[in-house]
Amino acid sequence: MKKKLLGVLLCVAMSATLLAGCGNNGGTNNKADTNANDDANAEDDTKDDAKVEEGASSDENTLTVWCWDPKFNIYAMEEAGKIYQKDHPEFNINVIETPWDDIQKKLTTAATGGALDTLPDIMLVQDNAFQKNVISFPEVFTDLTDSGVDFSQFGEAKTAYSVVDGKNYGVPFDNGTVVACYRTDVLEEAGFTVDDFTDITWEDYLEKGKVVLEKTGKPLLSCQSTESDVIMMMLQSCGASLFDDEGNPNMVGNEPLKKVMETYQQLVETGVCKLVNSWDEYVQTLTTETVAGTINGCWIMASIQSAEDQSGKWALTNMPKLSDVEGATNYSNNGGSSWAITSNCKNMDLAKDFLKSTFAGSVELYENILPSSGALATYLPAGESDVYAQPSEFYGGDAVFKKITEYASKCPSNNTGVYYYEARDAIATAIQNVVGGSDIDTELQTAQGTVEQLMDQ
Amino acid sequence: MTKTKRANALMYVVLIIVSLISVFPIYWMLIAATNKSVDVTRGKLLPGTAFFDNWKALFAQSPVQEAMLNSFKYAILLTICALVICSLAGYGFEIYHDKGKDAVMSVLLLAMMVPFVATMIPLFRMFSDAGLLNSALGFILPTISTPFLIMMFRQSARSFPHDIIEAARIDGLNEVQIFFRMFIPTMRSTYAAAMTITFMNAWNNYLWPKVIMLDESSITMPMLVANLTEGYVTDYGVLMLAVLLCSLPTIIIFFVLQKSFAEGITGAVK
Amino acid sequence: MSQTSEPKKKKMSLNKRQNLTGWAFLTPATLMIAVMSFWPMIQAFILSFQKGKGNNLRFAGIDNYVRMFQDKVFMQSLGNTFFYLIIQVPIMLILALILAQMLNNKNLRCKGLFRTAIFLPCATSLVSYAIIFRSLFGVDGFINSVLIKLGILNTGYNFLGNAGSAKAVIIIALIWRWTGYNMVFYLSGLQNIEYSVYEAAKIDGANPIQTFFKITVPLLKPTILLTAIMSTNGTLQLFDESFNLTKGGPSNATITMSHYIYNISFKYVPNFGYAAAMSFLIFILVAILAFIQMKVGDKRD
Repeated sequence: MKKKLLGVLLCVAMSATLLAGCGNNGGTNNKADTNANDDANAEDDTKDDAKVEEGASSDENTLTVWCWDPKFNIYAMEEAGKIYQKDHPEFNINVIETPWDDIQKKLTTAATGGALDTLPDIMLVQDNAFQKNVISFPEVFTDLTDSGVDFSQFGEAKTAYSVVDGKNYGVPFDNGTVVACYRTDVLEEAGFTVDDFTDITWEDYLEKGKVVLEKTGKPLLSCQSTESDVIMMMLQSCGASLFDDEGNPNMVGNEPLKKVMETYQQLVETGVCKLVNSWDEYVQTLTTETVAGTINGCWIMASIQSAEDQSGKWALTNMPKLSDVEGATNYSNNGGSSWAITSNCKNMDLAKDFLKSTFAGSVELYENILPSSGALATYLPAGESDVYAQPSEFYGGDAVFKKITEYASKCPSNNTGVYYYEARDAIATAIQNVVGGSDIDTELQTAQGTVEQLMDQ
Repeated sequence: MTKTKRANALMYVVLIIVSLISVFPIYWMLIAATNKSVDVTRGKLLPGTAFFDNWKALFAQSPVQEAMLNSFKYAILLTICALVICSLAGYGFEIYHDKGKDAVMSVLLLAMMVPFVATMIPLFRMFSDAGLLNSALGFILPTISTPFLIMMFRQSARSFPHDIIEAARIDGLNEVQIFFRMFIPTMRSTYAAAMTITFMNAWNNYLWPKVIMLDESSITMPMLVANLTEGYVTDYGVLMLAVLLCSLPTIIIFFVLQKSFAEGITGAVK
Repeated sequence: MSQTSEPKKKKMSLNKRQNLTGWAFLTPATLMIAVMSFWPMIQAFILSFQKGKGNNLRFAGIDNYVRMFQDKVFMQSLGNTFFYLIIQVPIMLILALILAQMLNNKNLRCKGLFRTAIFLPCATSLVSYAIIFRSLFGVDGFINSVLIKLGILNTGYNFLGNAGSAKAVIIIALIWRWTGYNMVFYLSGLQNIEYSVYEAAKIDGANPIQTFFKITVPLLKPTILLTAIMSTNGTLQLFDESFNLTKGGPSNATITMSHYIYNISFKYVPNFGYAAAMSFLIFILVAILAFIQMKVGDKRD
């Protein structure tokens, strides 16, 4: 019997493998040339893998990198490798696709388990989690202050994410500058143009939103009810944070925060903002035309553009600003990431020089990756490139990248602090209760209590 | 007679409804795998034409064959080892039970109850020191012996008739022979069920491989699926195709083995 | 005299030998569990008395254990988890038993198809089923459009946005996913019951419900115990549904203990001492419940 069962297992295994094999051949028939390329790549990959047993590269000319998006940061890293190879023919880059959640887990496990040798040479770290990790696991990160990277060539707000105690631990990469995208055809139906939504305040937004809702039945905005993205974007747009300069939670008596929460509450109550429960549903509201626009980090554009049939119907502008709040602007940031060199890197000089001459020194790199990945530079010299001034058909012929780079330079910086995720979650809980009818002051009190308790370590 | 007929009809109705509810998500997955991402997010419920595009995109961007092979390798190895070790123990605990062994069993059961997040880091340190990262051994060792499987065999050994053992002993078989020649064939339904469950758990295991598999060549199918959900844009068509490929082996194994555990012939052996 | 004492002595040594064989049989499994589970457990236990960010740990006595009971989010997660346990486990196990009983009918056609169909949900990857459930229960989702068409609702109800209904969705999802899994054990257990017992009952005029309670349930008792302990354990360690389906929301109304521990370990500034302490509470709770279940259900006749 056991033999029979074993046989069954093996048969299934073999047939499935064959199935997978056949499928791939099917692909080859369809498009022989591209697949030939893929095969060549695959061979290269296996060679690389054979060389690298675990963690950072032992080969002195190869750098192992962890990052996660094949169309975005992996692509950018590979392009950077190609550029560096021009001057250093021996150089190799070995990218291991690792989702951010996994990087965080592996980083935590390796640092806590005392197995730093399992880490790669370079990894991409979410800006929001950067300071948390540097402070929790200082032994993992390499101080890049004197690495030769000129940090003044990056937006100040952006660089601030990876600075701890005045030392730079990361080379800034992608940008989460907030953009407001609108469906021009829907606005037109309600008698507006995108200019009516440029440089406006949230009061204007609310009033016009009501008109749009009444005339077209479409809300202006959708967001995930369990996340506090919109709150955080609004808060940063006036330079405010959830923490004070000493890193203590600053929620109770934080006037801008209260104002932000009131505004959000009104948006939801009037139906101008439609709440959904998950990321998929949020993207769905954009692709199915249930909403007339959205406000998010500029990376949302890729999701909007996945609905190719809506090309030309979208326009991009800045976000509304809070009125009556000191330092309020129409600019903010949501998300983004930076490169870090781990302490496990065997060839520190190479890694530093590589980042210095690519992500922090090559306009060419940013020109190469922009068109197909939309990876926007936080490297300021790149923003002046002609490539950034190219008009985009999807957004009605507007030079969106130039616009965004300009927004980025005006964005106020934000103090994420170490306990950013704790505070974000506490605020998300608070705002859900406020929308459910609870009082803002009480909820802020609770949120602050929650964060203070979590900070007691 | 009409009463039985009506009861029978009712049974079919219930089973059909339950099956439809169970199958719906699979149907949805199949449909999604044939559609473009944007159509999936728009909730399209009819087959599309993008299957081959999704297929090409998936195989171009992810090492599907490698992940499939790895997953099969790990899951099969783990299933075989776990079945042998655990059924031996379950049999031992039940057939030769005494106070001491019952006590050991209770202690072992405790091991099942610690959340894995708590033991993961010490375990990782252990495996890293032993040089077992990125290896099949590293994958299988933590779950090679589970209190759950032991208990499953122990519970089923309870219905293994003692007179068979006595008869076998009189026939001159030793204890090991009794286990392999009498117990295993008699308990084929338990083995088939255990095999299905163990294979499925091994196949879907995610947290642990994610921590110990550091290089791309040791990637498993669930890890590959997870890679596809990360990033600023998710291609739902490609994702669902990968999920489909990832679910198929377990489904096929269940379909093949279900007869063995649901239509066992224990009676004949007795 | 010597004739009777000889076999007796032999039997004694035989017993002893069998006893030793028994120990030999269970040694490999026991050793593996000791190394792979108990050793890390002890280390985690030591950790639960320590405090600090990341790696900078110091001894803190029972601080972590005291803190747990003052932590509102954790207490809420504890409440949620028990709520799931009490509602979901009994419904799921009874449903699985009934389905197993139905599918064990010799005269049923297409048994294999039905069985596979009902098993399918637990073979489906979590990623897809989380997406499907979210879209089914979305404000503009399938369930809402059906309810609106039937005239039960006027506008879409936000199932995942309200505390009560979000919990209900999680329970439905759990039942959907794990009923087939438990059914496998019952089906396999039923094979050890001779079919003639059922036929005899039928001749005696017992109806299906009587057969179910008088024959199936008592004879499957060891299997039911197994699945009960397993499901209790699984529910108290529940993570996937909370993490993927509702993200613990709205306002932590659906967050589970494991989800919260995960946040403390990987999302927030890592606090492994506290995470370990919470894990041990789960451990103790499961152990108590399993102990009660064993006392009630694990008797050899």
